Amino acid sequence: MKLENITKKFGGLVAVDKVSLEIEAGELIGIVGPNGSGKTTLYNVISGVYTPEEGRVILEGKDITRLPPYRRAPMGIGRTFQIPRPFSSASVRENVAVGIMFGTLSGKVGVDESLEMADHYIELVGLQAYRDKASGRLTPTEKKLMEIARALAMKPKLLLMDEAMAGMHPRDIDDVVRFLKETAQEENIAIVSMVEHIMRAVAGFAQRVMVMYQGAKLVDAPTAEALGDLRVIDVYLGRPSGG
Amino acid sequence: MRLKIEKYYPLLPVYAAYLVMFLIGRTMPGMWQMVALLAFYCAIGQAFNIFLGMTGYVDFGYVAFLAMGTYGMALGITAFHQTGLGIGIMFIGLLLGVVMAALLSLAVGAVALRLRGAYFAIATIGVNEGFRYFVEGARIWGGSEGIIFYGDMTEAFGAETTRLLSTVWADVAVFIIAAMAAFVTIHYMRGKIGYALTALREDEDAAKVMGINVTKYKIIAFITSASFAGMIGAMAWALKLTYVFPPDVFEIHYTIECIIIVLLGGAGTLLGPIVGALIYGLSKYWLAVIAPGFQLLIFAPIIIVIVVAFPEGIMGLVKRRAKGTGWERYII
Repeated sequence: MKLENITKKFGGLVAVDKVSLEIEAGELIGIVGPNGSGKTTLYNVISGVYTPEEGRVILEGKDITRLPPYRRAPMGIGRTFQIPRPFSSASVRENVAVGIMFGTLSGKVGVDESLEMADHYIELVGLQAYRDKASGRLTPTEKKLMEIARALAMKPKLLLMDEAMAGMHPRDIDDVVRFLKETAQEENIAIVSMVEHIMRAVAGFAQRVMVMYQGAKLVDAPTAEALGDLRVIDVYLGRPSGG
Repeated sequence: MRLKIEKYYPLLPVYAAYLVMFLIGRTMPGMWQMVALLAFYCAIGQAFNIFLGMTGYVDFGYVAFLAMGTYGMALGITAFHQTGLGIGIMFIGLLLGVVMAALLSLAVGAVALRLRGAYFAIATIGVNEGFRYFVEGARIWGGSEGIIFYGDMTEAFGAETTRLLSTVWADVAVFIIAAMAAFVTIHYMRGKIGYALTALREDEDAAKVMGINVTKYKIIAFITSASFAGMIGAMAWALKLTYVFPPDVFEIHYTIECIIIVLLGGAGTLLGPIVGALIYGLSKYWLAVIAPGFQLLIFAPIIIVIVVAFPEGIMGLVKRRAKGTGWERYII
C-alpha cells in the first residue's frame, strides 16, 4: 500500500497536504495527531470516500485513487469508525456476516456460510453473549469491538482503525492491543491505527508512527523515536513561552 | 444455491391470512368486493414494502408504476384485440405493464437513487406529476381522456369471459401477485441482497466502505417493487375497471395509502404490510359507513400516534416480543 503525495482540499482549506506513506504487508502503524490534523480525511482518501485533488493511492501495484469505496473493500481495505457505525437493526452476527459477504471473500461465500463464519470473529472479540442482540443496543465499547470483528471478518490486507480504543478502560486497551497484534501476525494484515491522544494504545501497538500536524506529515519514524521527537511534543504541549 | 425450507416458514402466516380472506370472500355473500379491496391493499403494501421497507427510501411517486401497469394492459388489449389470441392478449398486456413499470423505475432510479432521503422523495413526486402532464399534454395514450377498452376486451375475450375477468379473475390475480410479492420479499431478506439492503438502510456510508455497491442494490429493490406495482395496476385497475383515466391512475392519494399501510404494519417486516392493509382497509371501509368524508381527518391523528408510539410499526413490535419464543421462526 502506497500513498504518493496526497493532497485533499475542502474549498480553501488544505485538509491533507502532500502526504506520502508506504505500508508493508503485516506492518503495524500508528497515525497520531491533534484534532483537525487531517487524519480522518487521510483515511477517507484511502478508503475511497474522498478523491484527492493530487496524488495517488496504490494498493499492491494497482492505482485505486479513483475507485469507489465499494470496489476497494473487496480488494482488501477494511475500516472501523471513530463513532461506531453498526447496522443497528441487524444483530451482531448479521453485522459481522456482512463483513464476510462483501469483503475480500465477496462472491465466494454464501449467506449461511457467512453467518457460520461470523461466529469465529465474534468469539475473537469476546461478544458471544451478544451474538443475536441488535447491534444498536450494545454499549459503545461493545459496538467498537463489534466493528473490529466486522472489519476483521472482511479479511482485509489493510485495516484502518479510527480511534478504536478511545473511551475504553486501560485494561481493555491492553487486551485489544494484544489481540490485534496477534491477529495481524496470523493473518498478515497491515493495521493502521489512528489516535488523537491515547498514547498507551500507540506505544504498545505500533512499530512505526506517523505524526500529522495541520494536514502535513510531521514525523514518520519508529515508535519510540517518533513519540520522543521534540516537534511532536511541541505539537501536543506547545512551546514553553519565552523558550 | 441450497434452498433451505425453514427460511421460508414466515410465509405460512402470510399465506394462511390470504387463504382465509379468499375463503371468506368466496363463501360469504356480498363480501367479495370488500375482500378484493383488502387484497389490493395487501398487494400494494407488500410491493411497496420491498422498496420502502428494505431500503428506507420513500417514493412519493409510486403510483406512477401502477399507472404504467394499467396503461400497459390497456395498450396491449387495444393493440391486439383483433388478433384472435384470446386470453393470451391478457398476458401480453400484463407483460407490457410490467416492462413499462420496470423501465420507468430504472430510468427514475438511475438518476434519483443517487439522491438521499428527502431529496429522493421530492424528486419522485415530480416524476409522477410530470409524467401525468406529459401523457395529457402530449396527447399520448389517449391524452387526458384516457383509454376505454371495454369494447376491445369483449371483442378479444367474448362478453362472458370479459365479465368474469373483470369481476372475479382480476381480484384472484391480485391475491396471486400478493403471494408472489411475499415470496420475493422473504427471498430477498434471506439472501445477500437483504443483508446489503439492511446495511444501506441503517448506514449508507458505512455500507459503501464495507464493500456494498449501494446504488446497485437500491435499484434492484426499486425495480422489483415497481414491477409488482405494474402487475397490480394491470390486473386490479385495467382489467377490473376496463378503462384508464390519467387523473385516477396518477392520483398521489394511492401512494400515501401505501405509505400508511407499510408504516402502520411495520416497514421491512414480512407480515407488516398485511396487518397494515387489513387495519387500514377495514377501518377505511367502516369509517366510510359511519362518518363519510371524515376518513382522512380521523386517520391523520391515528397515524401520528402510531408513528410516535411504535415507530417500528405493529409487526416490528410483535417481532421484538416474539424473539426467543417458539413464534420467532414464523414471524419476520
